[in-house]
Amino acid sequence: MQGTMEKIDDDTYELFFGPAHPGSGNFSVKLKVDGERIVSARADPGYLHRGFEKLMEYRLPLQNAVLSDRICVLESLAWNLVHAEAVDELMGVEVPERAKYIRVIMAELSRIQSHLIWYGIISIGTGFDTGFKLAFGYRDFILDLFELITGGRVYPAGYICPGGVRRDLPESAEEKILNVLDKIGKMIDFERAENPANLARLKDVGILNLKDAIRLGATGPVLRASGLKTDVRKEEPYEVYDRFDFEIPVRKEGDAYARFQIGLEEMEQSVGIIKQALKDLPDGDFIAKEFSKPKLNMKIPEGEAYIRNEIGRGEAGVYMVSDGGIKPYRVKIRGPSFLHIIPVLEFLLRDAQIADVPAIYWSLNGCPADIDR
Amino acid sequence: MVESVREKEIIENITKNFKVDVGIQRERRIWVKSPSEDLIDLCMFVKNKLGFKHLSALSVTDWPKKGEYELTYHIWSYDDKILITIKTMVDRENPEIETVSKIWGESSQIHEREMHELFGVKFKGNPDLSPLFLEDWDGPAPFRKDFDWREYVRNEYYSKDNDRESAYFGRD
Repeated sequence: MQGTMEKIDDDTYELFFGPAHPGSGNFSVKLKVDGERIVSARADPGYLHRGFEKLMEYRLPLQNAVLSDRICVLESLAWNLVHAEAVDELMGVEVPERAKYIRVIMAELSRIQSHLIWYGIISIGTGFDTGFKLAFGYRDFILDLFELITGGRVYPAGYICPGGVRRDLPESAEEKILNVLDKIGKMIDFERAENPANLARLKDVGILNLKDAIRLGATGPVLRASGLKTDVRKEEPYEVYDRFDFEIPVRKEGDAYARFQIGLEEMEQSVGIIKQALKDLPDGDFIAKEFSKPKLNMKIPEGEAYIRNEIGRGEAGVYMVSDGGIKPYRVKIRGPSFLHIIPVLEFLLRDAQIADVPAIYWSLNGCPADIDR
Repeated sequence: MVESVREKEIIENITKNFKVDVGIQRERRIWVKSPSEDLIDLCMFVKNKLGFKHLSALSVTDWPKKGEYELTYHIWSYDDKILITIKTMVDRENPEIETVSKIWGESSQIHEREMHELFGVKFKGNPDLSPLFLEDWDGPAPFRKDFDWREYVRNEYYSKDNDRESAYFGRD
């Protein structure tokens, strides 16, 4: 925990967590502390603000697909998908079956690698260095897959684009994905082993009950760890999620350990979804005709669409309005971390101990980039 | 389909109590256009009577030709699995509206704070509308359609006298 310390009065101090902290991301929290106890916390985003919503008004949908990678660095393919779906709905594009399956496979691979980062960062934050190294090592296998399929390891450069996906899966992809999934299975077994370090640091820390969770706008794993069984993939099936058999992990405790466990169980479910999708993967086109050779002056019909997706961190949304021009008129991006690491974090840090800050912060799996999009 | 029955029920329920425009956009998507005076009553009704508990997003669309801002509240119901979009218009030059932070709590408070910074909408009764992203910004609300950031950057950070930078002037 680094930063500047400023003495306010005899009893309380102000302490910065971030923005140059190796784990906090480009984001800081100002803590007012009394001894070891935190009196109040105030999130301070803006370190990474790029104004994507405004930038998208000046660009064509295919350019925006590339821009959408950068909304959240750690989950670029998932954000690609939300953006592409919004354009698809506005333009009334019929996405080919094969593309839908490839989209699901990529989104789930992206969820697994994002949860591996989550596991790694929560491990190093709570003093379990081995977990961090293992998780990032295993994540690399998935990045190799991304490189093979999309051409980019972290940024796929708009691989999931309006109309489908930019390239078909290479011939060797199926076998390689299955290979990597086996390896990920080993990592999940490792994570499953009860670890005294995680138990001691995470159990009964940062408890969020269901009523507060809904009021504070929590979604995804954070909300499920507080006891509400909800998942956009089940409630509002997009792409072909309604054809797959998977469970929604739920816990009642609402503490950091429960959130951590949810992440683990979700990885297992994602592995199952990918295996089912690979088995049923149909032949055919991978991109709709309008977009296989896109014209520069393609008009987006007048209208609006609000798309919700379940990404690794929670509910992602894109609200797109078109006035009939070739560029979107207004794009609103709703990131899950906007609520998780501003209101939820401020709420959970109140009256917590300084030593618990990393455990609470990383159990929420925030991504500062999607607040500061 | 079962869902569309519930959507019609919700729409009937709303039109019984309020004089508003409603419609079904597609499956699981309802929109309501409400005058800004009725917004708070409508929101209370939608949350407490119809169970829309999760304010998913709050957005503003700028329509300079009409001289209006369009505020859109996207609210999800965990019970019915339906998203309702409440739309209301406010004057663009003096955008003021009652806050919904008493209804949806902190989640709506933070959404309003963001929209206040980016569009300059004043949410009356919101306890905290301090800047979120932009430090030391005292220019116009940056997401307004008539704020041209390219023009702004050219004027603030580039010089016409500089050989390389002058190329940026007169270009779009």
